[in-house]
Amino acid sequence: MEQKKYWQNLGELNNTEGYQKLLNDEFQEDLPLVEDRKGLLDAKAPRRDFLKYVGFSTAAAAIAAGCEMPVRKSIPYLNKPESLTPGEAQYYATTYTAEGEVVPLVAKVRDGRPIKVDGNPDSLLTGNSGGSSARVQASVLDLYDTARLRYPVEMVNGEPKEVPLFDAIDKKIAGEIGGNVVLLTSTVNSPSTKQVISEFFAKFPAGRHVQYDAISYSGILEANQASYGKRAIPSYHFDKAKVIIGLDADFLGTWLSSEEFATQYAAGRKIDDANLQMSKHIQFEGILSLTGANADDRFLHKPSESGAVALNILAKLGGNVSAPALQDEKLKKGIDMAVSFINSNKGASLVVSGSNDPAVQVVVNAINELAGSNGTTISWSNPAQTKLGVDSEMAQLVADMKSGSVQTLLIQEANPAYNYPDAEGFKEGLAKVKLSVSFNDRADETSALCNYIIPHHHYLESWGDAEGRTAFISFQQPTISPLFKTRYFQTSLLKWSGNNTDYEDYFRNYWITKLGSESALDQALQNGIMEPAAETITAAPYSDAGLAEAASKAGALKGGEGLEVVLYQKVSLGSGAAANNPWLQEMPDPISRATWDNYAMISYDLAKELNIKLDDHYEVEVHKPVVEFTIDGKVVELPILAIPGMHPRVIAIAVGYGRSEGAGIAANAVGYNAYPLVKIEGGNRKYVNEASAYKKLSGTYDIAYTQTHNQYEGRKEVVKEYSLADYKKNPDHIVHEREHLAKDFAPKTHNFRDDATLYPVYEFPGAHWGMSIDLNACMGCGACTIACTAENNVSVVGKSEVLRAHEMHWLRIDRYYASYRDNTEGDNLNVVFMPMLCQHCDNAPCENVCPVSATNHSTEGLNQMAYNRCIGTRYCANNCPYKVRRFNWADYTGADSFGDNQKTTGVGKLDPAVFQMNEDLTRMVLNPDVTVRSRGVIEKCSFCVQRLQDAKLKAKKENDPSLIRDVKTACMQACSTNAIVFGNVNDKESRIYKVRNEEQKRRTYYALEMIHVLPNVSYLAKIRNTDRPVGVVNGSHANEAAAAENAHG
Amino acid sequence: MSVIKYESFVREPLIDGDKTYKQVTEDIVYTIEAKPTRLWHIGFWISVALLLFGVYSLYKEVVYGTGQWNLGKTIGWGWDITNFVWWVGIGHAGTLISAILLLFRQGWRTGVNRAAEAMTIFAVMCAGQFPIWHMGRVWMAFFVMPYPNTRGPLWPNFNSPLLWDVFAISTYFTVSLLFWYSGLLPDFATVRDRAKTKLRKLLYGMASFGWNGSTKHWQRFESLSLVLAGLSTPLVLSVHTIVSFDFATSIVPGWHTTIFPPYFVAGAVFSGFAMVQTLMLIVRKVMNLQDYITLGHIEAMNKVIVLTGSIVGCAYLTELFIAWYGANQYEYDIFYKYRIAGAYGWSYWLMMTCNVISPQLFWFRKLRRNIGFTFFMSIIVNVGMWFERFVIIVSSLYRDYLPSSWSLYYRPTIFEVGFYLGTFGLFFFCFFLFAKYFPTIAIAEVKSILKTSGESYKAKMGDLEKLSLEEFDKKMNHHH
Repeated sequence: MEQKKYWQNLGELNNTEGYQKLLNDEFQEDLPLVEDRKGLLDAKAPRRDFLKYVGFSTAAAAIAAGCEMPVRKSIPYLNKPESLTPGEAQYYATTYTAEGEVVPLVAKVRDGRPIKVDGNPDSLLTGNSGGSSARVQASVLDLYDTARLRYPVEMVNGEPKEVPLFDAIDKKIAGEIGGNVVLLTSTVNSPSTKQVISEFFAKFPAGRHVQYDAISYSGILEANQASYGKRAIPSYHFDKAKVIIGLDADFLGTWLSSEEFATQYAAGRKIDDANLQMSKHIQFEGILSLTGANADDRFLHKPSESGAVALNILAKLGGNVSAPALQDEKLKKGIDMAVSFINSNKGASLVVSGSNDPAVQVVVNAINELAGSNGTTISWSNPAQTKLGVDSEMAQLVADMKSGSVQTLLIQEANPAYNYPDAEGFKEGLAKVKLSVSFNDRADETSALCNYIIPHHHYLESWGDAEGRTAFISFQQPTISPLFKTRYFQTSLLKWSGNNTDYEDYFRNYWITKLGSESALDQALQNGIMEPAAETITAAPYSDAGLAEAASKAGALKGGEGLEVVLYQKVSLGSGAAANNPWLQEMPDPISRATWDNYAMISYDLAKELNIKLDDHYEVEVHKPVVEFTIDGKVVELPILAIPGMHPRVIAIAVGYGRSEGAGIAANAVGYNAYPLVKIEGGNRKYVNEASAYKKLSGTYDIAYTQTHNQYEGRKEVVKEYSLADYKKNPDHIVHEREHLAKDFAPKTHNFRDDATLYPVYEFPGAHWGMSIDLNACMGCGACTIACTAENNVSVVGKSEVLRAHEMHWLRIDRYYASYRDNTEGDNLNVVFMPMLCQHCDNAPCENVCPVSATNHSTEGLNQMAYNRCIGTRYCANNCPYKVRRFNWADYTGADSFGDNQKTTGVGKLDPAVFQMNEDLTRMVLNPDVTVRSRGVIEKCSFCVQRLQDAKLKAKKENDPSLIRDVKTACMQACSTNAIVFGNVNDKESRIYKVRNEEQKRRTYYALEMIHVLPNVSYLAKIRNTDRPVGVVNGSHANEAAAAENAHG
Repeated sequence: MSVIKYESFVREPLIDGDKTYKQVTEDIVYTIEAKPTRLWHIGFWISVALLLFGVYSLYKEVVYGTGQWNLGKTIGWGWDITNFVWWVGIGHAGTLISAILLLFRQGWRTGVNRAAEAMTIFAVMCAGQFPIWHMGRVWMAFFVMPYPNTRGPLWPNFNSPLLWDVFAISTYFTVSLLFWYSGLLPDFATVRDRAKTKLRKLLYGMASFGWNGSTKHWQRFESLSLVLAGLSTPLVLSVHTIVSFDFATSIVPGWHTTIFPPYFVAGAVFSGFAMVQTLMLIVRKVMNLQDYITLGHIEAMNKVIVLTGSIVGCAYLTELFIAWYGANQYEYDIFYKYRIAGAYGWSYWLMMTCNVISPQLFWFRKLRRNIGFTFFMSIIVNVGMWFERFVIIVSSLYRDYLPSSWSLYYRPTIFEVGFYLGTFGLFFFCFFLFAKYFPTIAIAEVKSILKTSGESYKAKMGDLEKLSLEEFDKKMNHHH
């Protein structure tokens, strides 16, 4: 009989050498088998042990019987999809779209649930960085938002009533729709949707489509119409600019496509040992914005002077305009500085303005023209499509609605009842509309007033496309079936215009027609994007026809010492559409470090005037004074935060807060809605106003902020910063300091690592993980914090707990003001952002104090936590010099063994947002690779050890150690500016090795190196391209020392 | 015992009044045999109430989490560990009195050693509560025990000072308990022998382990006392040394200080004696034991207080000097900017006033022998010593290395205070039971000095003093 040989693969059949090797290496480590198995298995219970066994079994039985374990059912696949292995992640290219914003993404899907999104590194729209913003990072949580409507509803007497069948709703609407149909949306840049809309209006020719952006860029659109004949926003190229002048534009935080700009900006700010060139960034602004905090030089002006500042720059550059005289000497110096830099860098300068006043923007266009930016740093070949709303159209719509000439209003992704300054007018008009349908995903302020809400899908459930810039197409494909009974708003439009195609089919047909074949579409979907290979930069023909008129308008100055109000967006919440996202609510503001609230940011001068003493007590005490402002006739009571670097006569209030109950549990009643303070002037919404009166009230209000000390107190072992000139003079300063340290502690060998201690230092023969963070590239945007939260299931603790310093973020961004708190010279301020996470010290002080070894060191240099072993003494947290260890003070996750212990009474309180995070729906966002921590244990950054293990496994499977070089921690992946580099420092080909030992050897330092904890995170010193004093001189901040010298001299 | 049954009459008598052996027994056992007084009832039930409130506070903390206390990311220890160190410190006087003074043959210890030892044991019991219940997952507390387990070779971390604490405190507790209990045996036997009810006879009979007063028993008793005293003596020094290692071996500026071991031991003795004073002054009044706990005892203890208070003061100044001389910016900042000044400056100066400045008044003999003043000072010292631990723990943590994490004010919650009050409840609950059912003064030991230091015997010494040296020698050495 024939001997059959059964084989699993060709390798086994042929018995190749490689296969043998694999076979032998399958279990490289010894399996933890008990050596003395014989004793264990053959043991008989001897007479002497009888009582012991009886006792043990009784106790065990009693315990087992006494503890009731909850039964959780998990149902395996009956027929497993071929491409799906449970436990293995799948990645889909898709696109984040919200209010016109477009960010191409790669979504990570585990067992059918999207759990993490990151920028698509192939896309120019993410600057090829693969980075994203905090809001994009957090958007995956919005998919599982408990406030999303779960079915279409009809609003009956203000109460939502489920309409069980779409057909029923369609039938009802078919009967009512007609007359003047208006589709009100935020910016639509999806080509297929645009076609759907045009087909819809072919059926309803009397109607029109109005685009309305929550934050208006209408002024720029109008100005560009005047200057370039195009109602569009060009693409900006900060990387090509050697001189960047920002006029009230928070382009790194919230202005237009800030992730893209941040990537470009960082490219010009990064220096290395070989190249000491960096761009010069001068910011003119009234409040301290994230962008201003990163500027080399900052100059302060009131928002009413924006036009005057622009005109002065233009005039000094040789523009044919007359500029109003400014009084402030420092501001004038700043203008001279800006002009001289532009003059010496023509064709490599970029001026951007955040004003929504077309007159100011026309002046800025003229400046850019003289600076030679048109066609060098500003390109018109692929203008941005992200903000297309024109304010006058919206104003017309509201007027029409009020006059009753709008019969049908369809609303998609717009919420004017909340964020339109004349919300009352809009509501009044809405009441007169016969049929109003909202496609918003929840019963928000506007939807609650409509007749029907037919919720649209979340973007992670959708097919779709978007054109962020012309010819830059990004695709969406669903990563999960719709969770609820929701429907594409496009499908509704199609249905109501008599086309019974689903949008899904419509979309496919649209693109198959365009691309020629189904496989081409599949390819495009897989890539997620269709973009030009490289961007061409072209100028647009410029006309200064409108300049004279604009100059006269922009030059008007408001006299007096009135208090001006700036309405800004927070980096975390933006316009406030995502206000029900607890991750974003709990994200500390980059500047104020406050969470869960908006407030009035005021200057130190104003604080003094209001008799608020800015002492130690003020700094640490969360009970903040409340000030009553009269703004535009409205009386507003707001808690205040005194922020350095604010113009003395300017206050700032963030929009995006004060949402209604319909927005969701977490958003409801958090903060104050500042949109009604937005002014409509000359047809455009302007995010400025004046406060006619103000007075301090007697009460206080608690603001939950996470950083209670703002200066680094001259501790140059923590923060190292230099001016570019100083650094160029002595680029080896840090190297020398470190050599000095080594000589001090290891006089014989100068080997600080090994010989500055009595104890033997473990060498890491295998991998040794390390991270380097470039303080020059870190903009402080906080995307990493949210990425870390999403990746590592970091708990949300709610405002009440943040107030008690119980927040759980594994990665925080320390923000230091390098000036004393009584320094009111707002423009002479250095701000440092320092991402702080577990430093994974090789001589970790936390490890040796843990009585039970719950925290210990891995052979690869990771400081690791065994949550199950932790008994919660908090000794490690006390002994951590970086204070990065976080303790679970209460049962934030519902993972505790004590049931029903989340509703505390008396002391402490878990806010509704914590319960929102614990809903079964919300918990679907949890990363199954990371343990959810229970109450009473310490947790902290793990260097995303789950990703490291995964990468090692892949490398092992592929037999290619170089694959480990691809591993990225979540923070690193989310960083738009590539400030974070991570890898195996033992691998000489790795980026981290090269950064530390070759490219950035001179700027590398370790925080608190002198205490010999041997951190595995290194920092690159911050360099500022300025002549102002920077850094630490004789133990105090250089600018302080200089100021003191000036004062005495 | 002693060869010379003589003590100079210049020395103050240690037992006042015309006492006989029988009278001593009567006086001390009286409280056990009589019904408890109204004062005792009031005190006892207040203690029970406090204890129950403590239990409730702990229930909240265990079920709802450590967030029931006002600690945070920067200040991870507050009242919990402050109270732990404070109670451990209080325990020290007992051992010092019973062990070291026994070895030094200080007769005056006999009047106070029983109660002081009891105080030690109860204080250590209270102290032990804090490190146990401050854990986030107290039900896993057994992880700190080095026992063979099924988790592979998983042992506690022998590098951790917290683990050393476990051993130090448990050893200390065990030895103190043995020492105390063995001293109680003859006295229990006395109570047993006087018992009039069967139950009392049975219980005290069991408690006295069959003591029958035979010479053999006394001989073993004496050697056991010496052995245990020998064991306890190093413990007096080691326990607080090890507790101080919790801080000294860490890297937190203000904790990382080599002076801590002696400084903590001195502080512990200091606060322990103050607590003994507080208790003794009450006990002698309530139990009518002024004859046994005399002004002489009180003065002797006040001398110890002024000595140890001054040592502690030296340590404080040394710390400040080294913080300046050491030229370490982080240490300098803690001491000069944030400890003696800054948000917690008040607690530092409270500590200084209570621990260093006010005890100096005890250089005056009049004040040393003033009962009201002594009582007041004993409270002041313990307040001061509580603040010493608070200053060390909180004012170091709130401003350590990274200014970004510098902290909010730390105020305890009701349950943190409740836990502390609860340990007072536990302490006095035990102490009241002890005072009622145990001989509060070591009867046998007091009797051993009665004939040398009793007031009536002292009076007779006057005649001896008049003898010539030869006559005296003859009388004393060849009398028997």
